[in-house]
Amino acid sequence: MPSLKDIKRRITSVESTQKITSAMKMVAAAKLRRAQETIENARPYAERMRSTLEQVAGSMATVEHPLFEVRDDVRSIELIIITSDRGLAGAFNNAVIKLAEQLLAEREGSLDKVSLTLLGKKVADFYKRHRPGDVREAAPVGNNPTYAEAAGVARAAAKRFEEGEVDEVILVYSEFVTTMTQTPRVVQLLPVSPPKTAEDAAPASEEDAAPYDIEPSPESLLSVLVPKAVETEVFRALLENAAGEHAARMTAMESATKNTEELIDKLTLQFNRARQAAITSELVEIVTGAQALD
Amino acid sequence: MALDLVIVTPEGEAFSGLVKQVVLPGSEGQFGVLEQHERVLAPLQHGVVEIKTDGGSQWAAVSNGFADVAGERVVVLADACTLAADIDQSGVEEAKSEAESELASLGDGEEHDARRETLTEIVRQSEVQLEVLSK
Repeated sequence: MPSLKDIKRRITSVESTQKITSAMKMVAAAKLRRAQETIENARPYAERMRSTLEQVAGSMATVEHPLFEVRDDVRSIELIIITSDRGLAGAFNNAVIKLAEQLLAEREGSLDKVSLTLLGKKVADFYKRHRPGDVREAAPVGNNPTYAEAAGVARAAAKRFEEGEVDEVILVYSEFVTTMTQTPRVVQLLPVSPPKTAEDAAPASEEDAAPYDIEPSPESLLSVLVPKAVETEVFRALLENAAGEHAARMTAMESATKNTEELIDKLTLQFNRARQAAITSELVEIVTGAQALD
Repeated sequence: MALDLVIVTPEGEAFSGLVKQVVLPGSEGQFGVLEQHERVLAPLQHGVVEIKTDGGSQWAAVSNGFADVAGERVVVLADACTLAADIDQSGVEEAKSEAESELASLGDGEEHDARRETLTEIVRQSEVQLEVLSK
């Protein structure tokens, strides 16, 4: 039976843990709000991007771009895997890594080479330990992912794809669904599936059908738009990952705080019982002593 | 004053308002847009945007985008856009020299391909921002 002092000490230690977890929860909540705002801010850009791409492609009879090229014999793939830098976020990072592992196990048989671009310290640590030979580039994601970072990753991957060094680029990341749910996802980044052309797309509305003067040519604009679509996709994944990380940490810390509450209740009960037992035994001693005098 | 200009970046809306004229850094050279311009879709390069209103001119740095012009409406989509008033000269100079020195220290290894692209982009954006300040 632990002594009163021992129990008191444990209660104090659990209480200080509780302070930490509830503070972390509040910090995560604040960061989550900001991350969600960033996602909202990025949305208009992505939507206009997509509609313009469709418009341009819709004005052409055939769309061609090196990034559309689907290769028959895929020998080398690149995985871009995104996790957070820090842990204490429940199963958030492990779910992504597990999905990536599953994907690798399924496809590795038919491949000559796999290369990994790792964003986020958690996934970087994992693969530096498990597949050091396949890691191409690893970088932390930082607190606020910028478009320049996403663009750098996307451009480097697009260059390797165009040069034929890789035949497919796949993005693995966590999608932020709600505060309670983050779903790991696999998205094919390259080759890009081509948008509909004039031949298979009917003009959506009168305004869209208005003749566009595309300078200098639709082809040149397409060569700007297609890589941009890839960059935007990577940027979006980075933002979703950031929001998901904070949401997962918030949920994890909330349940941790709840657990400390339960533990404190249990320990307090134990403490009171032990105190009562001590008092009782003291009383018994006094009474027995008094009786002995009579 | 009837040209509705919106500049959108992945980080949010950088500018939105009615202007008289806007001069954009097209990839084929600078071009100005007044109201009643024909519908045009044109790629932009890193460069300076001049926004003319009744109150005078405002400058902004844009990088890598395209402009969608239709009648009274101009939509500019760019990787980044900073208005002259928001540019902090010493901050930009510092970011630029930091990126340049990191770039020099990276070497040619393929393990830094993505980082190199990012840094190159930062340097280019900083250069445009400094150019805007000299206006």
